[in-house]
Amino acid sequence: MIAPAVSYRMAARMAACYDAIVIGGGHNGLVSAAYLARAGKKVLVLERRHVLGGAAVTEEVFPGFRVSVCSYVVSLLRPEIIRELDLPRHGLEILPLDGTFTPMPNGDHLWRMSDHARTRREIYRHSPVDAEAYDEYARAMVEMARFVKPILSMVPPDPFSYDVKGLGRLAGLGQRFRKLTRGQQHSLLQLMTMSAADLLDQWFETDVLKATMSASGIIGTFLGVRSPGTAYVLLHHYMGEIDGAFRSWGFSRGGTGAISLAIAGAAREAGVEIRTEASVARIKTRGGRVAGVVLPDGDEIDAGLVLSSVDPRITFQKLCEPGALPASFLEGVSRYKFRGSSGKVNLALDGLPNFTCLPGQGAHLRGAMSISPSVEYMERAYDDAKYGDFSRRPYVDIVIPSLTDPSVAPPGKHVLSCFVQYAPYKLREGTWDEKREAFGDTVIDTLAEYAPNLKQIILHRQVLTPLDMEREWSLSEGNIFQGELSLEQLFFLRPVPGWARYRTPLAGLYMCGSATHPGGGIMGAPGRLAALEVLKDVGHGGAR
Amino acid sequence: MKADVVVIGGGPNGLAAAALLAKGGLKPVVLERREVVGGAAVTEEFHPGFRASTVAHTAGPLRPSLVAALDLQRHGLEWTLPEPRVFAPHPDGRGLSLFGDPARSASELARFSAPDAARYPAFHASLGRLSAVLGRLLELTPPDVERPDLRDLFPLAGFGWALRRLGREDGQDLLRWGPMAVADYAQEWFETPLLAAVIAARGIQGMMAGPWSAGTTANLLLQAAAGEGNGAGSTVLVKGGLGALTSALASAARGFGAVVRTRASVERLLQRDGAVTGVVLAGGEEIEARAVAAAVDPQQALLRLLDPVALDPDDVQRVRNFRTAGMASKLNLALSGLPRLRAASDEASLRGRIHIGADIDTLERAFDDAKYGGISKRPYLDITIPTLSDPSLAPAGQHVMSVYVQYTPFKLKAGTWPERAGEVADAVLALLEEYAPGVRSLVVGQQVLTPWHLETTYGTSGGHPSHGEPSLDQLFLARPFLGFGRYRTPVRGLYLCSAGTHPGGGVTGGPGMNAAREILHDLS
Repeated sequence: MIAPAVSYRMAARMAACYDAIVIGGGHNGLVSAAYLARAGKKVLVLERRHVLGGAAVTEEVFPGFRVSVCSYVVSLLRPEIIRELDLPRHGLEILPLDGTFTPMPNGDHLWRMSDHARTRREIYRHSPVDAEAYDEYARAMVEMARFVKPILSMVPPDPFSYDVKGLGRLAGLGQRFRKLTRGQQHSLLQLMTMSAADLLDQWFETDVLKATMSASGIIGTFLGVRSPGTAYVLLHHYMGEIDGAFRSWGFSRGGTGAISLAIAGAAREAGVEIRTEASVARIKTRGGRVAGVVLPDGDEIDAGLVLSSVDPRITFQKLCEPGALPASFLEGVSRYKFRGSSGKVNLALDGLPNFTCLPGQGAHLRGAMSISPSVEYMERAYDDAKYGDFSRRPYVDIVIPSLTDPSVAPPGKHVLSCFVQYAPYKLREGTWDEKREAFGDTVIDTLAEYAPNLKQIILHRQVLTPLDMEREWSLSEGNIFQGELSLEQLFFLRPVPGWARYRTPLAGLYMCGSATHPGGGIMGAPGRLAALEVLKDVGHGGAR
Repeated sequence: MKADVVVIGGGPNGLAAAALLAKGGLKPVVLERREVVGGAAVTEEFHPGFRASTVAHTAGPLRPSLVAALDLQRHGLEWTLPEPRVFAPHPDGRGLSLFGDPARSASELARFSAPDAARYPAFHASLGRLSAVLGRLLELTPPDVERPDLRDLFPLAGFGWALRRLGREDGQDLLRWGPMAVADYAQEWFETPLLAAVIAARGIQGMMAGPWSAGTTANLLLQAAAGEGNGAGSTVLVKGGLGALTSALASAARGFGAVVRTRASVERLLQRDGAVTGVVLAGGEEIEARAVAAAVDPQQALLRLLDPVALDPDDVQRVRNFRTAGMASKLNLALSGLPRLRAASDEASLRGRIHIGADIDTLERAFDDAKYGGISKRPYLDITIPTLSDPSLAPAGQHVMSVYVQYTPFKLKAGTWPERAGEVADAVLALLEEYAPGVRSLVVGQQVLTPWHLETTYGTSGGHPSHGEPSLDQLFLARPFLGFGRYRTPVRGLYLCSAGTHPGGGVTGGPGMNAAREILHDLS
């Protein structure tokens, strides 16, 4: 046994020899740390909260109920990360999230399932033409997804550099585009620029189908379903499927926190040291490059590399010393838009909701339930937010993970999680602290219109506004993707034009969070790509 | 009758194409359905004694190389660049004028905001630099993606080089701004709500989009590029109205040997062996030609005039999906006197465009109404009083007020346009009354042209001012859509040369000019 004093000294000595410090123990920070450690680096992860995972976190919010507090489903966790970090061995298990159920105010519903034939019959019930178009649409999307998917695993080239490799990659994209058929080129161009609703108008006539499908285009953005640039996200639904590994959307057993913990497990196994309740006060510089971090109590930890998985506003405006970065870069950072637009309502239930339009505890409760009865409903929800109010009748995406993973709730009880849009960070009147409960009530009232028993079965409720996400999860303005996923903030423009390659103007400081390409969602791609870029710069192996 | 090229539609693009084709040695025939040439660039008597540019009221401006190539001044074209270029009254009684001279605009702005005044020259300069590069793009024939042709690639490489020479900062700005919402663009520069609204209005003009819609900055940049990229925007008034501009074009075309016929409505295209070989007029007259250039919108050309059997069914679907729903109306007012705007101290302020729309939210709310199929309760207005610079348009001492009104969606949720056109006039006059009390009592005559009128009278599908939405997915080589963006169509002998092709709308003659170059290349 080592005496505590010795271990303290050892820790202090070890502290001096970290190669890299990762700020933030969310899934991206952990992925970065794992990749660096596997390449021989000595890595320390510092997480401000008491629990790892960032927004991919499971917490026992109410006694006996374990809740995926923020992020609640997993979509595009990169298969290469699952493979390379061997995440299943570290406890990752993705459970299917089967189908999307949309109740309608007229007593009807739309229920798309993973069973293709049944979905087709269901859509046929609404419109025979749409049933026909649905297959064709899916085929077109799969083709497009095949084109787009490699971009998710690609370091964005810089079109204004003279970096031959990067420009080659850009030219390569052009070449691949040329090889598509004209029809595919046409669809791709539309996908990249159109609004989700306009694009779906070209394929379908059933309003509720278009509304529900278009909803995926607006999640986490301050845009409406009719805003150009929202169509692209429709593709994400067709990316998982072609991986063949798992469904496009799923639950993680034990909540989304279990994903972070699996990654943390892989990181620790590779030798990463992880500290929680460890805030960073400042990023230290010496001689024009990064030298480590300073903790709130003044303690310093040295490292030649610092990777920040927190967003650019916090990293560059709060943690970096004034003068450490060029003014033009800081101007770019200040222009980077956050504009949180969503909230979460998590409920502990003493039973299951009973939908008027499809009573009983059928399989429809196991999938996603979507309050998106019409395109106009979706768009009006956005209109409220544009002028600084939360939606009077919001779009709500509901899941009941306890039906698929009973371990998260006491027997017979359930966890119901609502993702709610729109809840603008900047309110025209009042503050979120004053309006939090009114917002929660609006969500419950909206749901109760479709499942009237809901109010009677609520045991506990947690309402998270964009302000809460900013305070508790350090997501500036409560943006769940660490910055708006609008066209001008994607790919080589994310987060700051010219600085989309994970590096920063400060030598040794890197970005590895969702504010970098390819953006948010539990993908892990930013964390991995950032680590690989770091390794390109400093080589494998430990510091001498 | 026989011709080398039949040009369908005698608007600015059809006439520009015909004039250049004739100048290039071919024998074109322009067929205009109406009794006057001009299309949407036309001067008409809308009330006894009052003439106005009934549809478009400012020129793009015309591409300078077109004016030079056709020597249009010799054919009577006279234009004025009024100062201020734009005047924006504020509901609080203040007024903001922007001039061609950035220093003068900046000093005007100082009354509103010192930081904005300080930033204005940089804004003006940035727009100028970007416009110089984008201006080159407007003159290009979009390249063929599948089979790149050296003839196209050379100018394209020139554009690419100019883009890189812009430097990292401007280049990055251009890439970032292109897909951005114009509200963000305007507010990135300025804090004065009225100024932001004046700038944002340039992004939404002619689009079924609000200032918060992504891609509206591209619209602003392209319109700026068509002019000289002035921070104040372009305001080109034509003496005699825009009809004088198209008359000059027609006269130049005739001068080079083109035939320009009015009251010649094309019924359908003559097709033989998979090629277009001429046109059939209403009444049965046939005109054979080596090529037909459609200056009517792409849907008219490809769905109504062409037998769609000639097209791939997928392409037919794409033509149908080309978004052409109009959103703008025109209200032409005959006034017994000059209205007095509370915000304008003298009539000199009113010589350019008058912008009504106090802030970005006002513009966005106007769009909100239209999104759901309603007429904007408080629309965005772009007004000219052409009689201030050209008194010949109205009886002595009286005035014409030409009001561009947005939004009035082509597809109404309730009712029809013939029933509801009056509501547009009511909404506009109620709004104007706030800025110019008493204006209603000056009205002696009025004409309302809604998107429905633009479709039925002027023949543009959906009544769209640019023959199709200038959204990101319908620009450049995708205008009207991929595979049809090079003025040629898959049907041999059929060309497109309307505003529904690159570089799009505005009275610039650009599409006609580019198309003429391609037709001359193919036929010679």
